[in-house]
Amino acid sequence: MHALALSDTLPGIAPVERPLARLVGAGKIYGTGEHAVSALAEATLDILPGQVTLIEGPSGSGKTTLISILGLLLRPTSGQVWIEGRDVAGLIERDLPPLRARNFGFVFQGFNLFPALTALDNVAMAIQMKDPGAKDPRGEARRLLDLVGLGARGHHLPADLSGGQKQRVAIARALGGNPPILVGDEPTAALDTKTALSVMELLRELASSRGRAVVVVTHDPRLEKFADRVVRVEDGRITSA
Amino acid sequence: MWTLARKLLLHDRLRFAVAIAGVSVSVMLVLVQVGLYFGFMDTASSLIDASSADLWVGKAGNESFEFASPFDERTFYKVASVPGVAHAERVLMNFAQFKLADGGDLGVQIVGIETAPGTTPLLAPWHVIAGDVKRLGEPGAIVVDRTEYPKLKIDHVGHTTEVSGVRAEVVAMTRGIRSFTTSPIVFTDLRTARSYMPGLGSDAVTYVLVKVKHGVSPDWVKAQIDQLPHLAAYTTAEMSSRTRTYWSSRTGVGAGFFTTAVLGVIVGFVVVGQILYSGTLQYIREYGTLKAMGARNSMVVRVILAQAMISAALGFVVGGVLAVGMQAAMAKANLTVALFPSLYAVTLVVTIAMCSLASLLSIIKVLRLDPASVFKG
Repeated sequence: MHALALSDTLPGIAPVERPLARLVGAGKIYGTGEHAVSALAEATLDILPGQVTLIEGPSGSGKTTLISILGLLLRPTSGQVWIEGRDVAGLIERDLPPLRARNFGFVFQGFNLFPALTALDNVAMAIQMKDPGAKDPRGEARRLLDLVGLGARGHHLPADLSGGQKQRVAIARALGGNPPILVGDEPTAALDTKTALSVMELLRELASSRGRAVVVVTHDPRLEKFADRVVRVEDGRITSA
Repeated sequence: MWTLARKLLLHDRLRFAVAIAGVSVSVMLVLVQVGLYFGFMDTASSLIDASSADLWVGKAGNESFEFASPFDERTFYKVASVPGVAHAERVLMNFAQFKLADGGDLGVQIVGIETAPGTTPLLAPWHVIAGDVKRLGEPGAIVVDRTEYPKLKIDHVGHTTEVSGVRAEVVAMTRGIRSFTTSPIVFTDLRTARSYMPGLGSDAVTYVLVKVKHGVSPDWVKAQIDQLPHLAAYTTAEMSSRTRTYWSSRTGVGAGFFTTAVLGVIVGFVVVGQILYSGTLQYIREYGTLKAMGARNSMVVRVILAQAMISAALGFVVGGVLAVGMQAAMAKANLTVALFPSLYAVTLVVTIAMCSLASLLSIIKVLRLDPASVFKG
């Protein structure tokens, strides 16, 4: 199927740079009737290559719902989600994993590394899971660990790494399969200030020199200096972008 | 996938050891219990299976091989004259009292066979390890099994005693011939057997063993014999099967052994299921991360199944070795554990099925795992 560019399909919107992903009026309502709760409403957002986007807001404001919908982990109850030049909001669950594998890498506050696997194995396994036909997952994993500055630590188990090193491994894992968008859910929350800043520097570098779009949910205003854009979410609505 | 599964299992070595122990005990129980059952059944039909007869003819209505009713010699001649019969031999089988060296008596199962110089009877002692079985035709000559020596208080070939007050001399010793009834089997000549069991009459016969003529169907001869009054003929395979079925169903030994084997499978199922499930819960966020990153459910399920298969394979090997050890230990107690390739093959299939089923709960857990849950705390 021919993939359409977003600018070709959304009349009236002509971004300077073609977005890698776009939310258009996306909303999410949990429950029905009297028990319905709106977690997100009318969210419109472009994710551009080379940019770091911070998503800020108080707890329960809808940040997690926003990145879950953006990362195709949650289907919106209204609106559109544009990835690879098409609206994928209506796709069924079984069609989403390959889209996620091609387009997203995720980084979490708790790292979520397999404790039984070395840093190298954690990254290689993710590459293989994303693409079972990958030619040389371990070679690619080595390259990615080098990229995040952990080439010499490939054979260490997560338990033998510091928090910052674990998060770098997680970032290397997220880069497996070469996805254009990295989504981080408070990736620096479990780290001390110095380490947190170095991790953000790495994400900033990946955006600036490697053209990745980086989307980070955070409560930490000190990270704003790394961002091209700060999106505030309050009461389920984007209040500033 | 296999590497991940192996490393996840080995990461917690104690838990892995418990899983393997669970599968091993399960495999050993299945092998030993089913092996014991087949060992008992082999013992029950060993006399029949060792014969070279085509047909066994007994009195109609006999339920048990060992407790068969006798008939007289006229019937033997009727059978011997049926068309298609090449050769017929008489067997007299019943119980008698064996005089022990300390003055006591022990019930033994007398098997009287036709012996003649220069010929091999259709039923004869096998696995002879000492003495001269050719002397069995001599009056009072008997052959007993080495495993029964302690019970019979015999310590050498040449031992003399009495059976039902009649002289008996051990002329040969066999290895591994035992009876399901636990009464020692005593081979002797037909005439001696009759002297040991005078109450049955001087021409008593319990079975007629038949060898059919070359080119004649045993089933056809069997049908001819079945037309004779009060007689029933069975091929050797049928007789063996009837005997096994009789002991298996009448004694409940089959149900007993198989119930224990099933319990073994249940134990293995519970242990492996619990270990895999707790392992899945331990790594649930990591599995969720994989799903979030685009790993299909099938990939994650395969990792869990691979863990189940590794547990099954290792547990099977360890359990199989343990079963061989148990077999050797039980042989010292005169118990036969029949382990054979098809039993191992079936047990392997059962083990794989058990471990696969045990992983179901874990599989359901990861299938239901919402990848978005990785963003929640």
